[in-house]
Amino acid sequence: MTWARVLEWLGYGVLVYFIAMQAYILGLNLISTWALRRDHHLNRFGRVTEMLSSRTTPPVSIVIPAYNEVVGIVDSVRSMSLLKYPRIEIVIANDGSTDGTLEALIDAFKLEKVSIPYRAEVATAPVRAIYRGRGAVDITVIDKENGGRADALNAGLNAARYPYVLCTDADVIFEGDALMRAMTRVVEDRERTVAVGGNIRPINGSPVDLGHLVKAEVPKKLIPRMQMLEYLRTFLAARPAWSAMNALPLVSGAFGIWKRSAAIEVGGFTPGHMGEDMDMTMRLHRHHLKNRIPYRIVYEPTAVVWTEVPETARVLRRQRIRWHRGLIQAVREFLPMTFNPRYKVVGMLTWAANVLFEFIAPIIEFAGWFIIPLAWFLGVLNVEAFVWLLLLAFGMGLLNTLNALLLDESYGYFDTKTDTARLLVMALIENFGFRQLTVWWRIRAMLGGAAVKSWGNMERRGFVRSVSPPQAPPASSASRP
Amino acid sequence: MSLIEPIQFATLVVLVLNALGVAALIILKAINRSRRRRAEARKRSHMRLISRHVAFEHSTDPVPAKAATDPAFIDALIDVRNALAGSDLENLERLVARHGVVDELVSDLRRSFPKVKRLRAAMALAELADDEAVPVLLEHLDDREPEIRVQAARGLGRMKWTPAIDAIVARFGMETPWVRARFADTLIGFGSAATWPLVAYVTVNHRHETAGPVAAIRTLAAIGDDEAVKPLIEVLHAGADPEVAIAVIEALGHLENPMAAPVLRSATRDADWRIRAKAVTALGLLADTESLEDLAAALHDPEWWVRRNAAAALGVIPGGLDRLYEALTGRDHPASEAAIEALVDIGELAAARARIEEGNGRTRDHDLISVAEAGR
Repeated sequence: MTWARVLEWLGYGVLVYFIAMQAYILGLNLISTWALRRDHHLNRFGRVTEMLSSRTTPPVSIVIPAYNEVVGIVDSVRSMSLLKYPRIEIVIANDGSTDGTLEALIDAFKLEKVSIPYRAEVATAPVRAIYRGRGAVDITVIDKENGGRADALNAGLNAARYPYVLCTDADVIFEGDALMRAMTRVVEDRERTVAVGGNIRPINGSPVDLGHLVKAEVPKKLIPRMQMLEYLRTFLAARPAWSAMNALPLVSGAFGIWKRSAAIEVGGFTPGHMGEDMDMTMRLHRHHLKNRIPYRIVYEPTAVVWTEVPETARVLRRQRIRWHRGLIQAVREFLPMTFNPRYKVVGMLTWAANVLFEFIAPIIEFAGWFIIPLAWFLGVLNVEAFVWLLLLAFGMGLLNTLNALLLDESYGYFDTKTDTARLLVMALIENFGFRQLTVWWRIRAMLGGAAVKSWGNMERRGFVRSVSPPQAPPASSASRP
Repeated sequence: MSLIEPIQFATLVVLVLNALGVAALIILKAINRSRRRRAEARKRSHMRLISRHVAFEHSTDPVPAKAATDPAFIDALIDVRNALAGSDLENLERLVARHGVVDELVSDLRRSFPKVKRLRAAMALAELADDEAVPVLLEHLDDREPEIRVQAARGLGRMKWTPAIDAIVARFGMETPWVRARFADTLIGFGSAATWPLVAYVTVNHRHETAGPVAAIRTLAAIGDDEAVKPLIEVLHAGADPEVAIAVIEALGHLENPMAAPVLRSATRDADWRIRAKAVTALGLLADTESLEDLAAALHDPEWWVRRNAAAALGVIPGGLDRLYEALTGRDHPASEAAIEALVDIGELAAARARIEEGNGRTRDHDLISVAEAGR
């Protein structure tokens, strides 16, 4: 067989792969649209108010892992303590910060060092001290040696007193009723619900005052704006579909509610894992499906948390490499679940699609950068078919984005004509440059070499304050969509 | 047919869909923007109109002919209603009756679709809490839509329509957890009128189901009627399912009736550690001084939760502090750990430091600080 023949057959293979991938994306879009329309009316009819005034609403522990978060941690905790929810406690796991995070917390919340026993149901790096607040905010700080984000989350799980734990980041802004909206999904079925994910949106460029978002705006800078489209696609055009099938592959780290007993039963978060949120979600699926325990892992699109996304290519590159390394770790760990009927939709569809279209796709796209010119050089490239296919891929991608924007319209965040124009233009141009860069970063993640840390070193610019001046940039992990 | 033709066709279809999508997005955004603005303006104008009718019973301001079918008018009506009381409320009720608002909502609710319209009607009827809506709300307690069942019960609860209690309680066992939780809220709103129907439900059903009786017991605890104490003790004596027993013990703690102390004391020796843990907490809520011995013994329980809860209970019972200090310096390390956590939680550590600073420190204050600082 000649090289030309090999390349021709490779072309047919890629075509089949392309069709399967587009069918998969289209399928997710259709199911997500159906699921969002189905649930939309519920959120307009008083569910949140009923939960707020109810005496049967379950209490929640908010776990915040913190590593060098001195700039934003106090504001963040204050904002979380004002969430509309009948009963919460805040547990901060200070993961060996060296910038005075602990001191800032002690000072702001009048914390007192207490010598109470720490029940390590999940093993963690040594705990140095425990602090409790004596003020209005029910706050506990676990000061521990550095062990990474997952280790800090485990310390929070150990110290949490309530049956449901909201794991989040130290630098996000919750909408006032976000926790309540997410917990409605728990109350719907307390027995079976082991995790609930919330909707994460980029906040870059939107004005913030006293820990609250004043008005949602489309980011003015290109890199955050491109990420906004990614987040919209993920959270509106994909995740509702997975949730409707009880096959959600990821409950994002910035807004994940976990049933404490279930999280501990599977051994807590995996220390050192680059994608500890995906790992935990998949382990919960595996545990319950393997042992035939009824369960559900759901996503609530109306429970919104705002987070700052990278504004420079350098930081974005680091974040994407870290995420993809997390995916690689997860693919390795859960490979036996792929196409395994024992794991039902999760094995046959979710994880199979994750392996085929998240893990393998960048390899194929990257290979295409070299094979297509080679095929053209060898004269076996059908240029006309290639151009049409390229146009089709572009059109399908745009269709996916447009559907996400149409779905987003029900929530009424972006009202102005300028916002609409910015999003539409970005949807058209994101395929030129940004897409290729993300493919390259994923390849870099596979090749190894680029050192990334579990905490991510996200360079925060600080929220745009509508009244007070902007703050100095904090550093922490960023949220994966 | 070559491969190019279907690809070309698919591409053209997708591009056309894209063009339609862009147009749809632009049009939808424009429509929604103007709809939101108009809805807000309409609601404001309706609120002004309704307020005038409420303030002057014989106001001649014309109410639009189709007001009863206008969602903005209904929303405004609800907002105004929730801010009123006394004669103003009566004026509003007259306005509602004059314009057939309830009749219109009842007919919307009785339709088989659209779902959103039915839901809106159910919620408006629940909010308006008009007696005329009672039959239709009772009828829809078993509607096929869970949210409509919730709103029907809520409406009846807002009207304090006590004959509805039995119908709501009867559905406890068969409902989804969400609806059950909302029904519980409604029953709590009824107060002690719901006690006996709930007690009867628990007594009859606790042997063969769990979720319904557990929810009913928690509802009884939230109502806080002492009448429930004796029947709940009987449920515990009848050897209830562990989940039911736990709910009963929690409820007995919340009801804070001393009659429950003996049965709770014996529950501190139950084989199931979850029952022991709940029993010691309940004894703490009862502040029962006769239970000091049982709670002190529970400090040495093999299970961490039982020790922790027993220590917390001792921290709030008169005389319990002495038992905690005894455990603090005792030889049983787990009991000492539980004791120090409770002492810290009730502020004894800070108090001991203050006493020492003031020169009033006692031996046990020094013991507490030294144990705390040693990080035992």
